[in-house]
Amino acid sequence: MLGRVGRFFVELGWPIGISVAALLLWELAVRELDIRSIILPPPSEVFVAMFQRSELLLTNLWPSLYLTVVGFALSVVGGILVAVLITYSSIIRKGFYPIIVVSQVVPKIAIAPLFVVWFGTGAMSSLLLVVLVTFFPMTINSALGFQSIDEDMHRMARALTGSNWQIFWKIRMPHALPYIFSGMKISITLAVIGVIVSEFVASQEGIGYLIKLAGGLLDTPLMMAAITVLSISGLALYGLIALAEHHLIYWQTSDDIGGMGRS
Amino acid sequence: MRAEIFFTSSMSAESPDRKAASHILRIKDARKVYRDLEVIRNVSLNVAASEFVSILGPSGCGKTTLLMMVAGLVERTEGEISINGELVTGPRRQVGVVFQQPVLLPWRTVLDNVLLPIELLKLPRPKYRQRALDLLTMAKIGDFAHRLPRQLSGGMRQRVSICCALIHDPSILLMDEPFSALDAITRDEMGVELLRIWQANRKTVIFVTHSIREAAFLSDRVLVMGRRPATILDDVAIDLPRPRQISMMEDERFNQYVRRLRKLIEASHAR
Repeated sequence: MLGRVGRFFVELGWPIGISVAALLLWELAVRELDIRSIILPPPSEVFVAMFQRSELLLTNLWPSLYLTVVGFALSVVGGILVAVLITYSSIIRKGFYPIIVVSQVVPKIAIAPLFVVWFGTGAMSSLLLVVLVTFFPMTINSALGFQSIDEDMHRMARALTGSNWQIFWKIRMPHALPYIFSGMKISITLAVIGVIVSEFVASQEGIGYLIKLAGGLLDTPLMMAAITVLSISGLALYGLIALAEHHLIYWQTSDDIGGMGRS
Repeated sequence: MRAEIFFTSSMSAESPDRKAASHILRIKDARKVYRDLEVIRNVSLNVAASEFVSILGPSGCGKTTLLMMVAGLVERTEGEISINGELVTGPRRQVGVVFQQPVLLPWRTVLDNVLLPIELLKLPRPKYRQRALDLLTMAKIGDFAHRLPRQLSGGMRQRVSICCALIHDPSILLMDEPFSALDAITRDEMGVELLRIWQANRKTVIFVTHSIREAAFLSDRVLVMGRRPATILDDVAIDLPRPRQISMMEDERFNQYVRRLRKLIEASHAR
C-alpha cells in the first residue's frame, strides 16, 4: 500500500521520466547534428549558464518577482472588493459588469506601450499592466462565487433573521473561496506574463529586460537560462497558491477524514 | 423517548384571547399575485398547536409560495397570516424551515451546521451545543456530529436539515417536500422517523407534498389544493391511530383515505 506521498510520486514519475528523456534527446541531437550554440544550446550549456551567471539572473529576478507578487496582490484585493460591489449593488451589476466583460476584447498586452507614454518606464507601468491583466479573472471568478450560493440556503438564512453581514461572512465568503482560488491560479500565471511584457517594452532591469538584452547580444544560453529561471519561479508561485488552496478548502479534498467512504 | 430535552417555551405562550391561543397558525383570505399572475386565491386555514397538517397538491400549484408566506419570506398581496396571535410581517424565529434539498454548508461539520441557525439568530452558541448533540442523537445521526456533510448519505443529510430546523425550538415547522429528492424506500423510513421526532417534541408541522400516500400516512389533516390559482379544495381529517407504522399502509382504512384524496385531486384536474 502506498501512502498519499507515495502515490504523488508515482503519478509524477511518468511526466518526469518523459521530460528527462526529452532533455537527453535534445542534448544528443545538438551534439550529433553539430548545431551552433547561438541557434540552440544543449541543455547542459543552459544549466552551466544558470549557475555561472546566477548573480546576474538573481539580481534581475527579484524586481520581476516583486512586481508580479505586488501586482497580483493588488488584483486579488481589488478584484474581491469589486466582486462584492457587483454582488450587492444592482447599479454596478447592471451598469459596470457588462462593460468589464466587453472590455476584455481589448488585448491588454497591446496597452503596454501606452502605459509607458503615461507613466514612464519605471515600476508603475509594469505594476499597472500586471493589475490590468489579472484583474478580470479575479473579479469574474469572485463575483461568480459570491453569487452562486444556493437559493434555499439564502432563504433559510433570511428566515432565521440573518443579517446581510452574517450571510456574507458565514455563507457567501466561504462558498466563494474555491472560485477565488481558481481566479488566483489563473491570475498568477497572467501576472508573470504581464511583468515580462512590460519589461520587454521599456525597463532597465528585470528578467524580461535580461531576456531582451541577451537576445540582442546573441547570448542564447543566457536567454534560455533566464527563461528557465522565470518558469521555475512561476511554477513556485502557482504551487504556493495551490498549496494554500489545498489546506484552506479542506471540504473539497478527495481524501475523507476518518476514512469513511463516500457513498 | 427523551422528550424532556426539548424546550417548551413557545408552546406555553399565553394569549389573552383563548380562541387565538388554541390556533397557533391562522391564515385568513390570503391572496398572492405576481404581476398579473394570481398564484394563491382566498386561502383560509387554522392550525392547532401540535397538529400535523399536510398541504397536498400537484407540483407548481403554489404550495411553496403559501409556505414561504407563512415563513415571512414572501409578501402576501391580501389577507392576514398570524402565528401565536401575532401578524406575520417578515421572518421570525418561531418558524423552522426544511427545504426539498438539504441546505447544509459543506465546510461545516454536521454539529456546526445544526448550530448555524443559533449564530444567525445571535443566540449564545455554547448554550445550544448539548441540545444540538441531543437532537442529532434523536435523529439517529449522533455518531456523525463531527463529520462533513459530503460524508453522509442523502437521507442522513435531510435528517441534519430537520435538526437545523428544530435547534432554536420554533413553534412551527414548515416542510417543503422534504423527502421528494430521496428514493422511495428511504422516503418511507424518513416519514416514520419524522413522526417519531414530531411525537417527541410536538411541534406544529405544515408539510407540503405532492405524494398522496405520504400526506395520508403522516398527517392529522390533509388540505387538498387545486391548480393555479391555488385554493384549498377540501380539508380531510385522517383519523388513524398513532404511532403509525409502515405496515399501516396495507390497511383498508388507510387506503380508503388514499382513494378519497386521489378522487379529490382528480376532480380538481377535471375542472
